[in-house]
Amino acid sequence: MLTLSQISRFYGDTVALDGVDFVVPEDTYMSLLGASGSGKTTLLRLIAGFEEPNHGEISINSKRIDGQAPHLRDIGFVFQNFALFPHLSVAENVAFGLRYRAENPLSNNSEILDRTQEALKLVGLDGFGHRGVGAISGGQRQRVALARTLVCEPRIVLLDEPLGALDANLRARMCDELRAIRERLGVSFLHVTGSETEALTMGDEVAVLANGRITQSDAPDTLFSQPRTAEAARHMNAWNTFDGGLCGDALSNQEIAVRFDQMEVCAPGTAPQDHLSLKAQYLTGEFNGPTALSFFRASDGSLLQIIDHLSQPRLPDLIEGQDYDLHFSSNALRQFHGAA
Amino acid sequence: MSAISTDPRATSAQTAESPALIRERKDRRRALGLLTPGLIWMALFMVLPMVMVIYVSFWTQTTFAVNSDLTTASWERFLSSSTYLTAIWTTLRIWLIVLVSTIVVGYPVALFIGLFVRNKTLQTALLVACVIPFWTSFLIRVIAWRPMLGTEGAINTILLKLGVISEPLTFLLFSEFSVLVGMTQIYCVFMVGPITFMLGRIDISVIEAARDLGASFGTVFRRIILPLSLPGVMVGSIFVSVMVLGEFATAASLSGRKVNLLGNIIVSQVGSLKWAFAAVAGVVLTIIITAVIALALRLVDLRKEM
Repeated sequence: MLTLSQISRFYGDTVALDGVDFVVPEDTYMSLLGASGSGKTTLLRLIAGFEEPNHGEISINSKRIDGQAPHLRDIGFVFQNFALFPHLSVAENVAFGLRYRAENPLSNNSEILDRTQEALKLVGLDGFGHRGVGAISGGQRQRVALARTLVCEPRIVLLDEPLGALDANLRARMCDELRAIRERLGVSFLHVTGSETEALTMGDEVAVLANGRITQSDAPDTLFSQPRTAEAARHMNAWNTFDGGLCGDALSNQEIAVRFDQMEVCAPGTAPQDHLSLKAQYLTGEFNGPTALSFFRASDGSLLQIIDHLSQPRLPDLIEGQDYDLHFSSNALRQFHGAA
Repeated sequence: MSAISTDPRATSAQTAESPALIRERKDRRRALGLLTPGLIWMALFMVLPMVMVIYVSFWTQTTFAVNSDLTTASWERFLSSSTYLTAIWTTLRIWLIVLVSTIVVGYPVALFIGLFVRNKTLQTALLVACVIPFWTSFLIRVIAWRPMLGTEGAINTILLKLGVISEPLTFLLFSEFSVLVGMTQIYCVFMVGPITFMLGRIDISVIEAARDLGASFGTVFRRIILPLSLPGVMVGSIFVSVMVLGEFATAASLSGRKVNLLGNIIVSQVGSLKWAFAAVAGVVLTIIITAVIALALRLVDLRKEM
């Protein structure tokens, strides 16, 4: 179990992490979701030991690891750009850790060969060992990076946007494979990403990093349907967050959130009595295939989105520039006290 | 039928050339244009003189004149004289020692600038600082070693004052040692530059990945950093080799005439108007330099690294 308590990291006056409390349980696929620049990579680098926190403690199974040299931490790190050794072959890349690690390196060549083969087989690269790392595709490089890390059997594997450099098709396939590989090995993965879809798909648990803190860490469906903070809701890319005062005085000075699919549109003044409503101007629509997004601007300037599914159209015909009433049931509402 | 064919492709091909062809021809003309000045320069000032030198080396040398009757006398004299064969050996020995010492002194400097300084501005500033000695003339840089290494020079004075030695060290100046020191100082920067650039190109995450896989810094250096920087070492070695093998000035001013390099022989033979003999030494030197570069290029495939 990896535990971070009150981890802070500053760069001059810039605060990257501000008191992060975070736990990655054993045998878990943990996604860490954060916008770019939110400090996700910094967090991983602190865990791996490439940088040290200014405050706080990092421990594995209650043994403190911050302050230890990175090569003694026994933590796997899969880099976003893969960081393969360009002068070594695929097999030599994978064998590097076994052969050259400071603590109990293997010297028996046939054992190294066996374990290298096994690792390559695990990631589906059987028979690629002799190739140069420049002579394989992006997806294969990703697998080599993974095999190279997994062969050392680290206590936890950190993946820094591992799918970012892959094309969409490959990304979907690697998603499934990463989960399958992790389940076979039983080691915890901490997967950092900026894509909420990826985080929700991959994670047994998803943590949201915002403003230098973990704002919520929950099972994907809980996080998606019941975000506890406005930040968490915004990161799901499925919630409109806005000032409650727009819907009347009862909710004023509170930040509230309503999911894109739980808002309805009607002509001004025709909203049902039992629904909360606000006035907004229709800006434009965006057709994405199975879904269509409509964009509205509320009177205080905040942007609201409503999603319509092709199979169940529920929006009236909208005219750009006209005002409409947006309404929603009070059940659909989430209120965040003091989070605004 | 075919004679009255109205196939539009056929007619357009006859009347006007395809744009692709025109563009290709234009590109080729531009490439030739770019190449021509260099080719003319090389032909006039390198290939032609080289052929001339080889030709002159077979001329007949008398005490005060040289004429174009072909003979191998100069070659025979050169290859049978122990003085000149010793000069070849001295040249090779000094070259090897200077090469090794520029690597030993230059590599750590390059390692520091290229790998530990990650700020590009600071990196450039440090590299420029390495070149500052070159703002003064070559001769001054060499002669500046005399007050440093002489019997009453800075080093001897300091060592005497500290009581480390009781009488001045005489091997410091006007010896092979002073030539080696002078050459290492002058040519070190040509080693530092290429290695720094090569090290600067190493992706820092590659080094972090090696650390993460459990390798200590020493292992990372041996298995990752050193192999990846070798092309830089090789380019630096070629620079240093070419310059050291043709050297004469450092030896002339710091060795007290005790060290005779092939370069010094050429200078003195030209000075006494022995053109044929100087040409022989020149050809021998060129052959040695060519062999050294060929060997270096064989060791590291630069095409792959560029």
